[in-house]
Amino acid sequence: MEILVCLKQVPDDSVEIHLKPGTEEVNLDGVTPVVNAFDTYALEMATRLKEAVGGSITAITVGPEKARDAVKTCLAVGANQGYVISDPTFEDADTLGRSKILAAAIRKLEADAGKPFDLIFCGREATDRASGQLGPQLAEALGTGVIVDLVDIEQTDAGICAKQETEEGYRKVESALPCVVTVNKPAYDPRYPTIKSKMAARKMAIPVLSAADLDSVEPGKPTAHVVKVFEPAKRQAGVKINEETAAESAIKAVDMMAAAKLL
Amino acid sequence: MDWGNCKDILVFLEQKEGKVVNVSLEALTPARTLAGLTGGKVLALAVGTDNAAAAEKAAPLCDGVLSVEGAAFSDGCSDAMVCALEAMVNKYAPAAVLAGNTPLGRELTARLDARKGLGSVQDATALKIDNGTPVWTVPLYGGTVLNDVVVDTLPVVATVRSGAFSKPEAGEAAPVTAEAVEVPADAIKTKVVEAVKEISESVNLEEAKVIVTGGRGMGSQENFALVEELAQLLGGVVGATRPAIEEGWVSRAHQVGQSGKIVSPALYIACGVSGATQHVSGMTGSGYVVAINKDEDAPIFDVADVGIVGDVMKVLPAMIEEIRKRKAE
Ligand SMILES: Cc1cc2nc3c(=O)[nH]c(=O)nc-3n(C[C@H](O)[C@H](O)[C@H](O)COP(=O)(O)OP(=O)(O)OC[C@H]3O[C@@H](n4cnc5c(N)ncnc54)[C@H](O)[C@@H]3O)c2cc1C
Ligand SMILES: Nc1ncnc2c1ncn2[C@@H]1O[C@H](COP(=O)(O)O)[C@@H](O)[C@H]1O
Repeated sequence: MEILVCLKQVPDDSVEIHLKPGTEEVNLDGVTPVVNAFDTYALEMATRLKEAVGGSITAITVGPEKARDAVKTCLAVGANQGYVISDPTFEDADTLGRSKILAAAIRKLEADAGKPFDLIFCGREATDRASGQLGPQLAEALGTGVIVDLVDIEQTDAGICAKQETEEGYRKVESALPCVVTVNKPAYDPRYPTIKSKMAARKMAIPVLSAADLDSVEPGKPTAHVVKVFEPAKRQAGVKINEETAAESAIKAVDMMAAAKLL
Repeated sequence: MDWGNCKDILVFLEQKEGKVVNVSLEALTPARTLAGLTGGKVLALAVGTDNAAAAEKAAPLCDGVLSVEGAAFSDGCSDAMVCALEAMVNKYAPAAVLAGNTPLGRELTARLDARKGLGSVQDATALKIDNGTPVWTVPLYGGTVLNDVVVDTLPVVATVRSGAFSKPEAGEAAPVTAEAVEVPADAIKTKVVEAVKEISESVNLEEAKVIVTGGRGMGSQENFALVEELAQLLGGVVGATRPAIEEGWVSRAHQVGQSGKIVSPALYIACGVSGATQHVSGMTGSGYVVAINKDEDAPIFDVADVGIVGDVMKVLPAMIEEIRKRKAE
């Protein structure tokens, strides 16, 4: 099976992001760029599928050339090859624009390889903006089906059967190939690279494709604009209780809850 | 903002087994604000196999219900639903299209945007009108940064966060109009072959007044029972962090946080919870926060009104006993 995994490089989501004091500028100083968590889940699911049915995984990202690092990370944990799609004219593309760029890149890679992708994995959402739009929009651009919020997938005679998480449980959803899927957190965690797989990934070339390499791509003007960037009102830390015994601490806390008329 | 000939506000009513989902009804409130601006109507769009219950629920809250019914529109069949949504957008030329920020709401609006070249906002937590232009507030980085955003295309498309708006007051029931939409066979690309209910309990975290949440620090399923006991004692609902759910101590329906429920109870008690952003972003709207953690530097204390430094296995039983005693008095 020919699998494509779309990934976004985002600021490390275990770090609390704030604005530079007194400005509307997001402070990303010292925050490591990482592969979006849901994309690491998508890659792990794709890798397990590849291990089960055979095939190859291509990892792709639209972003600055620096996003190469993100692709490299993927090469060490399951992806067989990777590409960065980068162009100054892509810089302010919104989700809709990026879905068009990815569609053009997919057509280009398919033409070069002489074979189509069967399955395209995206994350459920990117942890920076959590829009969750790109997967469905990419499917529309490619004219394929889309299944969102997967927690598992298997190959069938007719294509794939996906386990889609719902509020009450799950659905089994089938689609012919090609198809786009978006991945939620499965029951398993993404694997870690080994020293060997990291070394191998480091040696692999990660080509950068620009607008000129793609066949007429028109990301279009951004469809929305930001008028203000701010922080929500902060919660104030209250009192800390650390009495001699747990029972004393508990009583003190219950007193405070009672005083606040919460019991 | 120049609305051209677009006036009405279309709200997608999401249904589950014929019951309309709460956030869809909440979306009728920002829709009313927008209709005030455009001078149009608030139209609720029900798409399903049997819309009777949803239409009845929505009719007193809007100016008209559009009902698209048919066997093709069964739960989970998003391919058919997006056709219905697109057809209604084409027919009514609305000034805005709103939906709840659920997986279905996000998928349908994303696909509508792609088909019609539209921009949109997701997970809007507030709407204000600035000089006749709608400005939406959306969270970034798990909610530590907010953006005010203007959508530049028409219709304006937005999904709204559950609990961010309250349902409108009921008025007189608006008329229900049946609309026929033909779904071309080649539009259906995915097929639901099975739907399984694993979680039968109904967990209403969003409307709970008291939530007692257990995290990984509870240590085991047996210990987690203390969280349940305290929740019950306070007439509250049990919440959980993602690790507590992954350990299998409690079902996924209890998850609070970025990929769970966004909650705002009057009292939130966090037991053995570290306070990771992905969790905190789901509970900062709480009125009063009590945290129990043995690590005095745990980030959860930064958002707690009362922080108890201690072992949950000692503090929780003492707390339960003390509350019981006071209730008995
Ligand atoms: C994309 C993404 C989405 C996510 N979405 C969510 C989400 O929606 N909700 C969510 O909760 N998480 C979510 N997470 C996970 C999140 O990042 C944290 O890992 C999680 O919230 C931590 O859960 P925890 O506090 O239970 O566990 P830990 O971080 O392991 O903390 C356990 C705490 O318990 C304390 N403790 C241990 N033993 C005791 C004891 N005996 N007495 C008192 N205290 C004790 C420890 O000091 C520690 O602070 C998400 C992560 C990602 C990457
Ligand atoms: N710049 C990008 N390059 C490649 N894939 C992306 C990019 N942005 C988003 N995606 C994919 O789309 C998913 C959803 O992103 P979003 O719609 O931005 O929340 C991500 O999890 C990725 O799989």
